[in-house]
Amino acid sequence: MAAEEKWKSLASKQHSGAGEAGGKEPGVLLSQQLAEPGRFAYAALCGISLAWLFPEEEQSSFRMGFIEGFVKWLDLPDAVLPAMTAFANGLGGEGTETFAQLLLQDPILKENPVVITQDLLSFSLRDGHYDARARVLICHITWLLRIPLEELEVLEESLLESLKEQKEEESETAEAARKKKERRKKLKRYLLIGLATVGGGTVIGLTGGLAAPLVAAGAATVIGSAGAAALGSTAGIAVMASLFGAAGAGLTGYKMKKRVGAIEEFEFLPLTEGKQLHITIAITGWLCPGKYGSFTAPWSSMLQSSEQYCLAWESKYLMELGNALDTLLNGFVNMMAQEALKFTVLSGIVTALTWPTSLLTVANVIDNPWGVCLHRSAEVGKHLAHILLSRQQGKRPVTLIGFSLGARVIYFCLQEMAQEKDFQGIIEDVVLLGAPVEGDPKYWKPIAKVVSGRIINGYCRGDWLLGFVYRTSSAQINVAGLQPVDLEDRRMVNMDLSSVVNGHLDYMKQMDTILKAVGIKTKEEKGSGSFSSPPARQSQQAAGSGTQKEEGTEQEEDEDVAASDALSASAHCPDSPSPVLGGTKEQTAGEGAS
Amino acid sequence: MDEDVLTTLKILIIGESGVGKSSLLLRFTDDTFDPELAATIGVDFKVKTISVDGNKAKLAIWDTAGQERFRTLTPSYYRGAQGVILVYDVTRRDTFVKLDNWLNELETYCTRNDIVKMLVGNKIDKENRDVDRNEGLKFARKHSMLFIEASAKTCDGVQCAFEELVEKIIQTPGLWESESQNRGVKLSSKEEGYGGGGACGGYCSML
Repeated sequence: MAAEEKWKSLASKQHSGAGEAGGKEPGVLLSQQLAEPGRFAYAALCGISLAWLFPEEEQSSFRMGFIEGFVKWLDLPDAVLPAMTAFANGLGGEGTETFAQLLLQDPILKENPVVITQDLLSFSLRDGHYDARARVLICHITWLLRIPLEELEVLEESLLESLKEQKEEESETAEAARKKKERRKKLKRYLLIGLATVGGGTVIGLTGGLAAPLVAAGAATVIGSAGAAALGSTAGIAVMASLFGAAGAGLTGYKMKKRVGAIEEFEFLPLTEGKQLHITIAITGWLCPGKYGSFTAPWSSMLQSSEQYCLAWESKYLMELGNALDTLLNGFVNMMAQEALKFTVLSGIVTALTWPTSLLTVANVIDNPWGVCLHRSAEVGKHLAHILLSRQQGKRPVTLIGFSLGARVIYFCLQEMAQEKDFQGIIEDVVLLGAPVEGDPKYWKPIAKVVSGRIINGYCRGDWLLGFVYRTSSAQINVAGLQPVDLEDRRMVNMDLSSVVNGHLDYMKQMDTILKAVGIKTKEEKGSGSFSSPPARQSQQAAGSGTQKEEGTEQEEDEDVAASDALSASAHCPDSPSPVLGGTKEQTAGEGAS
Repeated sequence: MDEDVLTTLKILIIGESGVGKSSLLLRFTDDTFDPELAATIGVDFKVKTISVDGNKAKLAIWDTAGQERFRTLTPSYYRGAQGVILVYDVTRRDTFVKLDNWLNELETYCTRNDIVKMLVGNKIDKENRDVDRNEGLKFARKHSMLFIEASAKTCDGVQCAFEELVEKIIQTPGLWESESQNRGVKLSSKEEGYGGGGACGGYCSML
């Protein structure tokens, strides 16, 4: 309840900002408040940003669709379409600053620029589909307007809360109708996917496609009336179901019914309890006995989004590999030999054919499990691609993070997706750490188009183990995990982790540090990620991680600070936490109850 | 896109509200005239390829809104423009007097000082002329602009105005060739240096 209030209060805040009467009526579209020049600048800013973020030819339909919808959303006359189309096609990009300045000077935004984030979010979600590209665009616009990115996270969360409540109120008849459709759909899906099916006890809910008619009925409500509030109505149910894929079951409900190809194990394990409008999937590179015996262990501190999963795959083989790595570094090869090995590998003098015999004993231990896992990771990656393409995760952005062979899984997942159609707008960011894959930009070019946000390649020049195991597996000299990938694309971000990673095993042991270095949010960390790269996302790293963990008292203090910004919000519903800061889900629920 | 297009030029149309900027553009691009044309919102955009002296040039024309409320948006379009068309209404002296303001704004926001300027006195089909042709000519000369009188309604001088402007821009190679190579946002991927160009500064205007 509190969250819904929060959302409504935000809406009413923008309402009161317009100086209109009747504060009770929640949610007035920004388009009704902004003056025409303001709306024009707003749309132009979006157009220019679209052109900058997605200049590719194959993205043109997305750009056009977005901008056309947006012109309607903002209630601008069709006469502006040619200019907007020109902006979205990369013309007139010189005006970005002017448009941003103009927008910020608008009295409504001056008071509370977050309404822009809210408006864009409402627009992006209006048909129950959260495109990764839309999210990247929102991040970019908020950066241009100097709005901290955690605002977006907070908005997403509060919107989600209000949707959840509405869902519980779903009428019985609607539910009955829905279930009937589901049964039919389920049958169809068995045929469609073929690879594997959905089971796992939980009720299988709406898929995106099924929700479409419901959404179509609701879309008018959403667009016609107050956007933000309307999302939490009947349309909201459909929106929600569509967003979250197989209702509630989502990825954890996914289990392979039979062996798929060469894959023996493939399952999603939840890393966090929460639900979010965007999810993160982490992929582990190997397992070793003891502390790191589980797939989830390395990711314990990660908190990129409050809904995170970890992919469990081929544990038998990954454990064998882990054992081999362990033997290699703790005992079998003594320190001296390790140094010699390191020297040999790093100097690069010795080619694969002329390795000294002493080193070849090492090779015996590691090469076989490595080769097996190398092959299997590619298969798993392809399988993952088809799961993501069939939207088991719902229609919302996905971020993929993996190290070592996990990064290889991601690489092959992206490669497979690039070969299919409808791959766009699913993946937001990818992070590959110490990836044993080709580093030649020509292989990365096709996968870049799958990703909407950033492709982070974390490499370590001194990773001799990676250099060694990769020597025979394939002839390529370029390994992404050892050097930057020289791909000319705004998405590509190379990060030298040499100062953090001393050897390949550190990817598992130092994951916490690495995540911070790369700019992924972690549980403890509140401060900024130091390596953040493209300006569009910079604030993201500095943002938000704290909001989840903040203690009640601390939050209250912060609320006071923010109170000036959120005056009307707290006036409207004094009990709800400030929307500017938001709280953890627990807090929200608790306050709602009180 | 087009193989034989020499370059893409950014042209800007400015002037007071209601002087006929959009009508001039509509006449030029679509050869139509609408006496009831609605006021422009923000900016309008049209593309047209024309051939001047055997050189094909693609014109990306930004037609700005003259209304005061959109005035704040105008500065964003000036950047990178190679040519500007300054329009006034020959039947309304106030639109002529305001030209100084427009020139000031142009000076302030324009990123280059060799931008080619064309002064157009519109609506010469109307009876109640208020600004004499010589006045316009004098003003244009003083500020080293090209000058032409035109009527979007009768089609008089419209084509000529754009052609003259483009010709002058093409005769000033420094104005467009460097631009086409290092612009952040490329107008066309096929832009290659300047092939024609011709003699520099061969200034022949309608004067």
